[in-house]
Amino acid sequence: MKGLAKDLKRLVASERVRTDPEDLFAYSADATYYIKRGRPDAVVLPENTKEVSALLKYAFHHAVPVTPRGAGTGLSGGCTPLRGGIVLDMKRMGRILDINRRNMSAGVEAGVVLADFHKAVKKQGLFYPPNPQSMNVCTLGGNVATRACGPHGVKYGATGDYVMGLEVVLPDGSVIAPGGLVSRSSAGYDLTHLFTGSEGTLGVITKANLRLLALPPAHRTAMVTCETIEQAGEAVSEILAGGTLPAMIEFLPRMAIAAMNRYITPPLVTEGKAYLLIDLDGTRDEIQAQADQILGICRRMGVLDIRVIEDEQEAATYWTARSNIGGMLLAMMKKAINEDVAVPRDRIPEFVREIQAMASTLSRVVLGIAGHAGDGNMHPSIFFPEVNSDAENEAEAVIRKVVRLGLSLGGTVSGEHGIGFHKAEFLHWELGEVQIRLLKRIKKAFDPKGIMNPGKLWKEGR
Amino acid sequence: MLDLDAYRDAMAKCSHCGLCQATCPVYREDFLQTHLARARMDLIRAVLVEGELPVTKRFREVLDRCLLCTNCSRTCPAGVPVDEIVAAARNRVYQGKRRDPVRRRLLRRFMGQRGMKGLMGKAGTVAHKMGWTPAELAPPASKPFEKRYKGRISTEGKARARVAYFVGCATNTLYPDTGKAVVDVLVHNNIEVVIPEGQVCCGMPALADGDLALVQEMARKNVPVLAACDVDAIVTDCTSCGLMFKSKVVKALPADDPLRPRAEAVAAKIWEVTDYLDHVGLTADPPPLAESYTYHMPCHRSWTPTLDDAPRSLLGNIPEAELVELEEPDRCCGAGGTFFMDFKELAEGIRSAKLADIRRTGAKTVLTQCPACRSFLRTRLEDRRVTHPIVLLAEAYNL
Ligand SMILES: Cc1cc2nc3c(=O)[nH]c(=O)nc-3n(C[C@H](O)[C@H](O)[C@H](O)COP(=O)(O)OP(=O)(O)OC[C@H]3O[C@@H](n4cnc5c(N)ncnc54)[C@H](O)[C@@H]3O)c2cc1C
Repeated sequence: MKGLAKDLKRLVASERVRTDPEDLFAYSADATYYIKRGRPDAVVLPENTKEVSALLKYAFHHAVPVTPRGAGTGLSGGCTPLRGGIVLDMKRMGRILDINRRNMSAGVEAGVVLADFHKAVKKQGLFYPPNPQSMNVCTLGGNVATRACGPHGVKYGATGDYVMGLEVVLPDGSVIAPGGLVSRSSAGYDLTHLFTGSEGTLGVITKANLRLLALPPAHRTAMVTCETIEQAGEAVSEILAGGTLPAMIEFLPRMAIAAMNRYITPPLVTEGKAYLLIDLDGTRDEIQAQADQILGICRRMGVLDIRVIEDEQEAATYWTARSNIGGMLLAMMKKAINEDVAVPRDRIPEFVREIQAMASTLSRVVLGIAGHAGDGNMHPSIFFPEVNSDAENEAEAVIRKVVRLGLSLGGTVSGEHGIGFHKAEFLHWELGEVQIRLLKRIKKAFDPKGIMNPGKLWKEGR
Repeated sequence: MLDLDAYRDAMAKCSHCGLCQATCPVYREDFLQTHLARARMDLIRAVLVEGELPVTKRFREVLDRCLLCTNCSRTCPAGVPVDEIVAAARNRVYQGKRRDPVRRRLLRRFMGQRGMKGLMGKAGTVAHKMGWTPAELAPPASKPFEKRYKGRISTEGKARARVAYFVGCATNTLYPDTGKAVVDVLVHNNIEVVIPEGQVCCGMPALADGDLALVQEMARKNVPVLAACDVDAIVTDCTSCGLMFKSKVVKALPADDPLRPRAEAVAAKIWEVTDYLDHVGLTADPPPLAESYTYHMPCHRSWTPTLDDAPRSLLGNIPEAELVELEEPDRCCGAGGTFFMDFKELAEGIRSAKLADIRRTGAKTVLTQCPACRSFLRTRLEDRRVTHPIVLLAEAYNL
């Protein structure tokens, strides 16, 4: 694209326009880099909405593709620039604009890092629950754009449940602000939540108004070692049906525990086939009541072990270990592909059992499964001890089987990571061609020239 | 050997999760993915291993713009040894010639003579011209440590242990007060101190330049001297010297090098001094010292698990001395050895966050073990003193 860099440097300060091959390489992918990379023609780091607007106006006029990017932690290739053009790195728009205690809301720019936001609201006794395990680095813009979720989903829901309003720059450069500062609105089509989960294909999110809750006064963590996967699944169902709603309830396989033991003292026994890592929150009395109920259920079911961790700092080591599982397992392997098929809660044991049956037939890759059991949001992952074409073929075949299985159980191809390019074909399976056509027409209404993040969501772009 | 080929698998462990964004001081200033461990690993592989991209000026800048602070490795779930990979890459690209010949000669002299005195005198003017003695460096003390303390310093009664003291370059010429405090506090606590003759620089500055030959040259002088000491432990007051002896010197030697077993023996015995004292315990109770201090954790501290908390724990023995914690005690200060001379603006940016954090505490004394942090912070904290934790303990003892 001749003259692109020169043109862009007229729109934003020149040091925030990067075109060296090394920089283009660094922006070629997200955490799915070993599946596919792209090569942008320029990387631009805007600092305010006005700059984003000017950049999009330019891109629209010259039909240059634009791929928004937050922290690049995506697990489906959402910010991988498949058709060149501009990657828009939003990290420099990282200001928390206000925290409104009386309205229980906050205004943020898209590039704010989730953990920084958590810290800032906590200082005021407030709470923003979504906690994808990449929270120390991922951006609120990326969270909104993917409808990110995390262990808190079981009790508190996903990012979408906290979005009250947005500021969005449309592909032609115009700026709109759907939604606002109210927690309910019946004013026409819900554009706010159409952009929520749009994966950068409809416009660039520059700001968001987010709903806040009061900070629960206390926490307690427990680890339950289950004899079988069925037992773990049944325990989850019993706990929830019994009226206890843990803040988090994570399903972990034995393989994950072996890795987590690097962080945990004393190490957990590895006799169990499945583990539940649970966090309870509320007042001390509420927690005690919940804990008693859970202990009762688990004892009745004859689980192998229950460990309650009273000390908050010690409990934190369990959750740190939890968020590092992926990376730790990878330290023993050469490559990983993470899926996020979600199934109805009551189908978890069936799903896990079938997955394990599939796993036992594999010879070149390892199939493991963990997940946010409380809401059926499971993470089947494929690990490669060696990378070669046989392993790739086996992985691809098993991923397709896993996705089909999830769908056959009434699930979805993506519980929280989004579609990107990696799951585009699967979206066709889930939605069918009528819905896909509808999606494409919606896209066309917002982005007539198809410049926003082309090549994503469905097959054959646009 | 710090050979890039030996790190192929380690580089492949980077899953591109991007969690390193949380703690990389350079990324937190630049906000550019290219200046982040995951991109560095990827680029080093693409350029130096696979040859997909050529070595360019920009690539060298990406390599150079790294503090080797190890924060990313600590954050990395897969524990990728980013600092070693960057050092090995610098070795591959620069082949020991990262600096021009004049600077290399100066550095070599500095390291061989353990300190600044080699840079003063006639060579000093040249050094000054090369930007080697900026205001951030404290002026050398009138009399280096090695001229004040020598040989064996015995305890009054029977010693409960004997340690060798490795005196780093900075303590030797810039901060002999620290060296004095180390010796006095150890002896006061019934530990005999031996200062082995023939020590030179630990080699860290050469490692940062990817100058493997010079790292080895230093090892060949230090290791025999230290390994020959009949002692229970080897202590250093500098966290970076400790890191070198604990985990880098052995790796810098060829696999079949006859020096390796002795380097391993040194690695097994090396301790940072506050960690050592906290481990063996104080025999003399420190009298009260009404002083509020804050503590900046040096980045090079993960070579032993107890080092993170050692100074806090040790100084906790001083009645009335009060630690006011920083909001982010583990956040880098931007010095990075001589990094701050190469990337002034960037280092300034990293430092300013640290300074604001320090000022917020109101503490008049700032403690840290790393002499680079110490001198870099000191120049912007005129109204506070910046010193080594052991100095505070010596003060409490009135030594
Ligand atoms: C270790 C690890 C753990 C993870 N755990 C979880 C988890 O528990 N739950 C979960 O849901 N996800 C998880 N993820 C996936 C990922 O972190 C989330 O999808 C996150 O929301 C992505 O945020 P990001 O800022 O990195 O966005 P990016 O990866 O940069 O982008 C994601 C998508 O959003 C778009 N986008 C980004 N910013 C904007 C913007 N301002 N305007 C418009 N579009 C934009 C991009 O184009 C792309 O399509 C994990 C990832 C990793 C590496």
